Amino acid sequence: MRIKILRQMSPVTEPYWQEFEGDFAKDQSVAGMLDELNYKDDLFDVNGDPAPRIQWECSCLQGMCGACAMVINGRPALACEVFLRDIKGDTVVIEPLKKFATISDLVVDRGIIHQNLKKANVYIGEYEGADPKEYDHMYAAGKCLKCGLCLEVCPNYSDGSSFYGAAFANDCFLIASRSKSRKKAITKSYQKNFEQGCSKALSCVDVCPMKIPTLASIAKMNRR
Amino acid sequence: MKHVLVIGSGIAGLSCAINCAQKGMQVTMVSPFPSERAQSVLAAGGINAVTASCEVGDSVDSHIDDTLKGGCDIAGKEAVRGLCESAPDIIDWLKKNGTVFTTDADGNVSKRAFGGQSYRRSCFCGASTGKQIVTALVMEARGFEGTGRIKRRLWADFYSALIKDGECFGAVLYNEATRKPEAITADCVVIATGGQNALFGKTTGSTQCDGYVAGKLLTQGVELKNLEFIQYHPTTIETAQKRMLISEAVRGEGGRLYIEENGRRVYFMEDKYGERGNLMPRDIVSRCIEETGKQVYLDITFLGKEKILQKLPEVYELCKKYRGIDITKESIPVTPSVHFFMGGIAVKNNHETNIKNLYAIGECASIYHGANRLGGNSLLAAIYGGKVAANSIEQAESNDTPNDWSKELKEAEEKLRSLKGSKSPYPVKYIRDMLAETMQEDLGIVRDADKLQKGIDDVSFYLSVADKIRFDSSEMAYFGYSLKDILTLAKATLLCALSRKESRGAHYRSDCPAASDAYKAATIIRYDNGEFTTYLDTEDKYEN
Ligand SMILES: Cc1cc2nc3c(=O)[nH]c(=O)nc-3n(C[C@H](O)[C@H](O)[C@H](O)COP(=O)(O)OP(=O)(O)OC[C@H]3O[C@@H](n4cnc5c(N)ncnc54)[C@H](O)[C@@H]3O)c2cc1C
Ligand code: SF4
Ligand code: FES
Repeated sequence: MRIKILRQMSPVTEPYWQEFEGDFAKDQSVAGMLDELNYKDDLFDVNGDPAPRIQWECSCLQGMCGACAMVINGRPALACEVFLRDIKGDTVVIEPLKKFATISDLVVDRGIIHQNLKKANVYIGEYEGADPKEYDHMYAAGKCLKCGLCLEVCPNYSDGSSFYGAAFANDCFLIASRSKSRKKAITKSYQKNFEQGCSKALSCVDVCPMKIPTLASIAKMNRR
Repeated sequence: MKHVLVIGSGIAGLSCAINCAQKGMQVTMVSPFPSERAQSVLAAGGINAVTASCEVGDSVDSHIDDTLKGGCDIAGKEAVRGLCESAPDIIDWLKKNGTVFTTDADGNVSKRAFGGQSYRRSCFCGASTGKQIVTALVMEARGFEGTGRIKRRLWADFYSALIKDGECFGAVLYNEATRKPEAITADCVVIATGGQNALFGKTTGSTQCDGYVAGKLLTQGVELKNLEFIQYHPTTIETAQKRMLISEAVRGEGGRLYIEENGRRVYFMEDKYGERGNLMPRDIVSRCIEETGKQVYLDITFLGKEKILQKLPEVYELCKKYRGIDITKESIPVTPSVHFFMGGIAVKNNHETNIKNLYAIGECASIYHGANRLGGNSLLAAIYGGKVAANSIEQAESNDTPNDWSKELKEAEEKLRSLKGSKSPYPVKYIRDMLAETMQEDLGIVRDADKLQKGIDDVSFYLSVADKIRFDSSEMAYFGYSLKDILTLAKATLLCALSRKESRGAHYRSDCPAASDAYKAATIIRYDNGEFTTYLDTEDKYEN
């Protein structure tokens, strides 16, 4: 199998492509493959040149923490959930998420997701109690990994400076449905930082690894 | 204003940071990655509490008794009492912070049964209790981040504690952005860095929990406790990348463990313990599986597709996705795996270590679980520990002694420089993999003096070469500088296991298979100039 990776040594150096060759079990995930590749004795690329170890982020290795989000064969996904058996052809092309600054190789800085939530003060404050009918929706929204895949695919999201994207909309729903003190302010912030910029392309819904019903969050927030 | 430095942003770190901020203190919370990446998000099953809507007959006293009994009588009674008594308030606190608990028709938090408990008392949020708690606490912390009370430091790792004359004044961090160490001073430091999975390689948990901080602190004079008690979860599946937990719920729904012998199924747990044999405590099931010496299977097919999809959807998904197994048609091949660490940094009931102003909470601390932990008690302990530490820190004297830390910083800089300058292609990972093999082999479910000694010899060898090998500098610097103290922790763990010449809870010695009253106390280990000393805390010096 051929593995083509967009590499970058540091935030300030130029990215470059590097290709590797290797045999991996079909049931291996892209995350497992990166690990195997990294720990061959010495890492050499297809031209026989020595290569630095590939930097990528992981934690749970079972699709529950969002660390390993990257672009695999053009599709943003969690590397620990993409299996080689499902890859068409015998080349895997791996790139870092492009809407975030690269730290090194496949590691990117997704801090903007948290900064925007912090800027908009998305927290409950005085708790109002929850409508039991909303339980399933709240539970689903509570599973957001802050992985950034929804922002990567969104045609309206660029760098998070004005439009904050789907992850923000879901957290706004979590607050507005239960907070007495913050409901109004959050709804206002939602209108400014989400509603005005969303063209309902809804690519965020398809890509979400947690299958969060973002559309329902948007519908409920828009009605407020 | 008091400044508290919290290292780690899982559930324990978040709980402490929020509690400190609520009390008007200034908090810096450090972790390389955000809370969403912490192991805490993997906790699925639940969090124990006897609330007003508990089962008839249940009581806080029963929760205390179960916890002490589960811990085989070596956990501190007062500490456990505090934990269990606070549990109902903690559930309320979590609810108000926005945790989406599963509730019954009357709106009360639902509870499920967990092994070792006399009543159903594990409150839960569907199948993602830890994740829902993290989401809620992240939101709550965010409120304080908005006002600047809590400052998060991402892309930073703990390097060492700033300790002088038995007192802690802050920590040296490795800043991954500038790739340089920096000293941060504080009135108190709280360690919340989770368990020590890396000692064993593949476990059910996160790759971020490596035990480095506990190992480093040991070399800095901090005492560690009960390291030999490591919980193996009996039912996990092996995948190419990790061991994945197969929830106890499968056995709760009637799942049966068996081996194949001469083309016949042998239900060894039921043969040995009767009808409810499959639901024996985790350590017993793990030991029985190990004793078979064969591939063990877990069968739930008889429940039928509809019920399986309704009651065990996550297990169905996980087996299908990661192993291509359809559990409605096939049995699940299971093996025990390292899952939880009862041992860690020794702390008193207020969560302070033997070093003044240095605290430890969550899975990295050892206090409530004794020789074995009950499922659902660790999330509770992580939150409670954060609260107790915050209370104690509020009372502590402010620490305004000026100190010069340039020597510590220079040492760190030199070490990092030598790691970065290496041209060697040899990865740290190789030694980490050898260590994991040694630990799996010699500190497994069944131990004996010979194996433990062999493990100690092997780890001593890795330690003796760790400083001499030049490592591949294209690996993360953290990987390089953490290796030696991870090895030190591994050696300490083996030494604790060798020193406990009895079997108790999760520590089973085939050469001393019975429990002995002479060992009815916690093991403490300390380190001084390359020498390790273990002793039993028979005077309960940590329990008050
Ligand atoms: C699969 C699984 C299921 C579980 N289910 C349950 C359950 O149902 N109920 C229950 O009670 N318990 C359960 N547990 C156990 C429970 O999840 C943990 O004990 C608990 O979450 C630990 O929380 P913590 O905050 O102490 O540590 P963690 O959540 O592990 O957080 C550690 C933090 O420290 C940071 N860190 C680590 N090293 C460094 C360093 N060198 N420098 C800076 N920061 C560092 C990490 O980045 C992270 O932020 C389960 C565990 C697993 C693995
Ligand atoms: S909404 Fe889905 S895709 Fe977006 S950050 Fe959350 S989990 Fe990731
Ligand atoms: S490593 Fe956690 S989602 Fe892939």
